[in-house]
Amino acid sequence: MKRLVQSTIGLLLAGLASIASAATVNYTLYISAGSITVNGTGGTTMSAWGYSDVAGTTKVPGPLLTANEGDTVNITVVNNHNINHNFVAQGLTTDATAIAPGGNKVYTINLGSNSAGTYLYSDTLNSNINREMGMYGVLKVKPADGGNTAWTGGPAYTFDRVWVVSEMDKPRWNDVAGAGGTVNTGVYKPNYFLMNGKGGFDAMHDAATTVDGLLGQTALIRIVNAGQQSSSLHFHGNHFKVIKSNGVAQSAPYLEGDVINLPPMSTAEVTYYLNQLGDYPMHVHTAQQETANGVYLNGVATMIIMK
Amino acid sequence: MKFVKNASKTAILSAIATLGLAAAAQAATINQSVCVRSLNKTMSDGASVTFWGFTSNCGGMSSGLLPGPLVEVGVYPAGSGLTDTLNLTLNMAMAPQEQAPYNGHTIHLHGADVATAEDGVPETGAPVTGDTYTWTPKSNETGSYMYHCHVHTVKHLEMGMYGPMIGRPKNTAGVFLNQLTHDAATAYNYVQNYVLSTVDPAYHTATGDSTVFADYNPKYFLISGNEGKTTAAPAQTLAAGVNKKVALRLIGIHSVNGTFSVKDASGNAKPFTVYTHDGRALATPVTMTSLDVSPGQRYDILFTTPSTTGTWYPQVTYKNLRDGTALSTAYGRVTF
Repeated sequence: MKRLVQSTIGLLLAGLASIASAATVNYTLYISAGSITVNGTGGTTMSAWGYSDVAGTTKVPGPLLTANEGDTVNITVVNNHNINHNFVAQGLTTDATAIAPGGNKVYTINLGSNSAGTYLYSDTLNSNINREMGMYGVLKVKPADGGNTAWTGGPAYTFDRVWVVSEMDKPRWNDVAGAGGTVNTGVYKPNYFLMNGKGGFDAMHDAATTVDGLLGQTALIRIVNAGQQSSSLHFHGNHFKVIKSNGVAQSAPYLEGDVINLPPMSTAEVTYYLNQLGDYPMHVHTAQQETANGVYLNGVATMIIMK
Repeated sequence: MKFVKNASKTAILSAIATLGLAAAAQAATINQSVCVRSLNKTMSDGASVTFWGFTSNCGGMSSGLLPGPLVEVGVYPAGSGLTDTLNLTLNMAMAPQEQAPYNGHTIHLHGADVATAEDGVPETGAPVTGDTYTWTPKSNETGSYMYHCHVHTVKHLEMGMYGPMIGRPKNTAGVFLNQLTHDAATAYNYVQNYVLSTVDPAYHTATGDSTVFADYNPKYFLISGNEGKTTAAPAQTLAAGVNKKVALRLIGIHSVNGTFSVKDASGNAKPFTVYTHDGRALATPVTMTSLDVSPGQRYDILFTTPSTTGTWYPQVTYKNLRDGTALSTAYGRVTF
C-alpha cells in the first residue's frame, strides 16, 4: 500500500513536470531598411523598415514569435539600420530605450501564469514613424501545456490565425522617411491598407491568413491593429465571440458580433465557429481601408472558407 | 418610425392573436422588392449631391430613399419551432450603375449569417443583375441589421445604397411585439432607427478604381439621411410621452468613428441601456452614457423619458479614424 501511494505520487509529479516543462526560447530579430510590395492592381513597392529573423531581409510584419506560458523568452534585437530603434512587446516589456545603429539589446521575458495570449510588439520611437514604416509583429503565447485553448481552461479551438492590420501612407511617410527626409507627422493619409503586410488580393489567398477549415471546427483569430487608424472588421458567414479584448480574458457567455472595432495598438481574440458550407469574405467596413491606393478589395480583406 | 399609442392597444392585439384569429399569420413569408433610383439632395451648404437609394416605389420617375425602406422580419421565441422567412428582391430595372467591372448591384443582408448564394457578394458568385435574397432568422437573432449593396462597396455604400433591416420579436401567434428581444425588459413605447452615415462628395462623382477612394474626407454627417447639424434643426424627431420607454436602433454604415449619446438641452448626458449588439442580445444589458458605434456595427438601446415634459437630443459625434478628434455632431430630438 505504501509503495503504491509512493509510486502514484511519483506519477503525479512526473505528470506535473511534463505539463510545466518550462523552456528557454531564443529569438534574434534584425532591424533593416528595405521595401514592401503590395501585389496586384493598385499595388506598389515602397520603402519599409522591419524586424526580421533573416539579417538583411526586411519583413512586414516581423516574424511571428511563439512560446508557452512558463517559458523564458530571450529576444536579441540587432539594429542594422542607420537610426535609433527600440522593441517593446506591449504588456510584456517596458524598456523603451533606443538601440543605437549597429547596436543590439537582449530582452528577456518570463512568461508567468495567465500570460497566454496575443501580444503586439513594435518600435515606439520617432513619433509613430518607425511603426508606420513596418516595425511591428506578434508574440503568441500558448498555455503551459501548449494545447489548443486560448488560455488554461479557456475556450478550445481547432486552429488559429494571426491577423496584423496596418496602413501605410506611401507619398507622405514611406517615400519621405525611406529617403531620410522629415515626415510631417501631422498629416496622415494612408493609401495602402494591409492584412499581414499584404493587400487583399494576396491576403484572400494566403494560407496563413484565410480562415479555411471544415464544418464543426473552431478558429481562434488573434487580431492586432498595428496601424494608426481604427479598423472595423466585418465577418460574413457567422458571428464571432469576443473571448479576449486588449489582453483581458472575457467571461462566458461571450459578446457575439459580426463587426469588431480595433483602435490603434489594440488587440483582440475572437473565436469563429465554422457552421455552414461556403465561401465568405472578411473585410474592413471602413470604405477607403478596403483599397490599395483606391483599387477596391486590395486592402484589408481575406476569405473565410468552410468545407 | 413605429408608434404605439398605449400598452392596452398592444394587449388587445395580443389577446386577439392568442384567440387564434391570427393563426394564419404564424411563420410568415415576407416578400419585399426594392429597386434603385437616383436622388439629388441639397446639403446644408447649398451643394447638391447625387445619391443612389433603394425604394419600394419602382415607377420610372421615382426617387431613391436615403436610407432605403425598412425591412422587418419576425423572430419567434426559442422552442416555438416557428420562423419567418424574408425574400428581399432587388429589381434592377432602370437602376443607375457604374461601368464594368463594377456594373450592377446586389443586396447583402449585413449581419444575417446566410448561405453564400444569399450573401450578395459578387466575388463569391452573386449575380449583379437582380436576385432574391432569403433569410430565415433564428430565435436568438432579434436586433438590428442592415441591407446594402455589395458591389464596389467603397463607392456604392457611400452613394446611399443601404437600409435598416430588423429582426423583430413576434409571439407564437405571429404578432409583432414592441420589444427589442424576447426579454420583456426590452419593451418599448416608441422606436426609431438611427442610421449613421457620412458623405464625401468626391466619392459620389469618382468611379472605377480611382485614387479618390484611398482618401476619405467626409463633409456631411448624417442620421437617417439628414444632417441635423444643430439641436434646432435635428435630423429626425420623435414626439414621445413622459415616463415612456424609447428604443433607438443604432445602425452604423458610416466610414469614420462614431460615438452615440443622449443629452438634455443643457448638454447633460443621460443614461441609456444597451440590449443588443450586431443582432445578438447582450448576456447582461449595460447602462452607459456614451457608446462607440463603429462602421458596420449595430446596437439597440433603450431609455425612459422623465416624468416632466422636456426635450432630449440623441446624437452622434463623428470622429477621425486616426486620433478620435471630433469631426461633427448630428442631432436627433425626442420631446416628451
